[in-house]
Amino acid sequence: MASPDIAIVGYAQSPSYRRAELTEVQFLYPVINAAIEQSNIERRSIGFTCAGSCDYLSGQTFAFVMNLEAVGAWPPISESHVEMDGAWALYEAWVRLQHGDIDSALVFGSGKSSPGTPAEIYPLQLDPYTLSPLGVDPVSLAALQARVMLDRGMITERDMAEVAVRSRRAAASNPYAQVTASPDVDDLLQQLYVTSPLRRHDLPPISDGASAVVLATADKAREVSDHPVWIRGIDHRIEPHQPGMRDLGVSVSTKLAGEKAGVGEAAVDVAELCATFTHQERILLDALGLDGGVDVNPSGGPLAANAVMAVGLTRVVEAARAIRERGARRAVAHATSGQCLQQNLVCVLEA
Amino acid sequence: MTATNEAPSGTEPVTMMDFFMHLDYREPLAPVMVHYAETLEDGRIIGHRCPQCGLVYVPPRGYCPICVVETGDADELTLADTGVVTNYTIITPVQYYGQQETEPFAKASVLLDGGGILSLQDIVDCPVEQVRVGMRVAAVWVPAEARTTAEMTNRSAGSAEGCIRGFRPTGEPDLPPEEFVDKVV
Repeated sequence: MASPDIAIVGYAQSPSYRRAELTEVQFLYPVINAAIEQSNIERRSIGFTCAGSCDYLSGQTFAFVMNLEAVGAWPPISESHVEMDGAWALYEAWVRLQHGDIDSALVFGSGKSSPGTPAEIYPLQLDPYTLSPLGVDPVSLAALQARVMLDRGMITERDMAEVAVRSRRAAASNPYAQVTASPDVDDLLQQLYVTSPLRRHDLPPISDGASAVVLATADKAREVSDHPVWIRGIDHRIEPHQPGMRDLGVSVSTKLAGEKAGVGEAAVDVAELCATFTHQERILLDALGLDGGVDVNPSGGPLAANAVMAVGLTRVVEAARAIRERGARRAVAHATSGQCLQQNLVCVLEA
Repeated sequence: MTATNEAPSGTEPVTMMDFFMHLDYREPLAPVMVHYAETLEDGRIIGHRCPQCGLVYVPPRGYCPICVVETGDADELTLADTGVVTNYTIITPVQYYGQQETEPFAKASVLLDGGGILSLQDIVDCPVEQVRVGMRVAAVWVPAEARTTAEMTNRSAGSAEGCIRGFRPTGEPDLPPEEFVDKVV
């Protein structure tokens, strides 16, 4: 069944900060303002607002309510929140726009990972009986996943280091990126393991940051923008959250979401993938059926800027940026949630 | 984070487990709060006045959430340390772990003269049954050498703890509600 076309008419992102001195609300301000300004839609006429953030990251219950101070929520507005990456807030807004009674929506994702200790926070999202009490952290789980791939011959440690090098080089031209350098693969492979088989370069940075998108229905998009970026397909799928119940070397949910979103229906110029660890890029490319002709993570991706709760929505922003500012015709954005690519969202954008 | 699981004794099946955890967060004070803390230690309450709607925010937030505009040094003003109680709650403590209080006490929102509201302020030197909306009050400052803002966080909305012990009644006539109803956020 064809869905009414929805377009991105505004987008913005903050720099990726290692440790933001501003509060989350304060660094959301210029991001949301810039996205709305680019959209040419008057703030008060936006029909729906949806945000993605995580109170565990903030260390405060209902912290997400504070973020509305950067939106303009008085007189009251119609809004919603997902305790997920902003990419899922985008999905909710996209669904909301299908109703046809409103013509625009604001979406944002934000998070400060720096105040807490991610290795202690994330185990709490796992099974509370067998995994959380063990303190199984994301890096350990990702290491198990990388080990599966190495043992199976899907990838080598050199392949992984090459992903890191390519990401950091690409990030050098991204003003929002946090980790930029041009290291040598052989040098990287001399480094000690953090958690075998992962070295420091296989891990994402710890980041604070935000991103925002303004969506519009087809008529509204043509009215306000000469360069709307069309959402041609969007879908998300989830797998069991117990890592032992999945084959960690493949991503069934990404494959399904990619098929439903129509990734394979035409050539893809750019793919912005939420490969938070170097080895995950191979899994995602396989699941999405993407090959060597695709420019993968020209922004540097999550290995260069990893503001959790925004990093998935930032993939959408970067894919839209590749189309609107760099002439790409068709781009794929991917977001992930949970550990070892448990839940995945795929969005196909076109000029 | 710590996890504690007592080993099951004998052959009894495990029907319950304890999992105690805590998380530590350390967030530096945002620059606007650093400035607020420094001036508070100097005995001065500052706020930001929104250039559009005129509402005063204390501590300054760096923005007005009503107008969605950012505010800065140009919008800073020094506020009075006298004001009026616009709302209050009498808390009757029950003795749970960590509770320090034993007698009923009042927490009040104080609208400072000239604008800006400090919430969750202790009303001191006053029997709780006499606390009322409209009561004129003045700040009771902690002696300068004993002031501290070490406990202040970016979420200390309205906080002056460590510098202002609370607010005491001044004995002036009460302010009628129409003088302050639309100045409270």
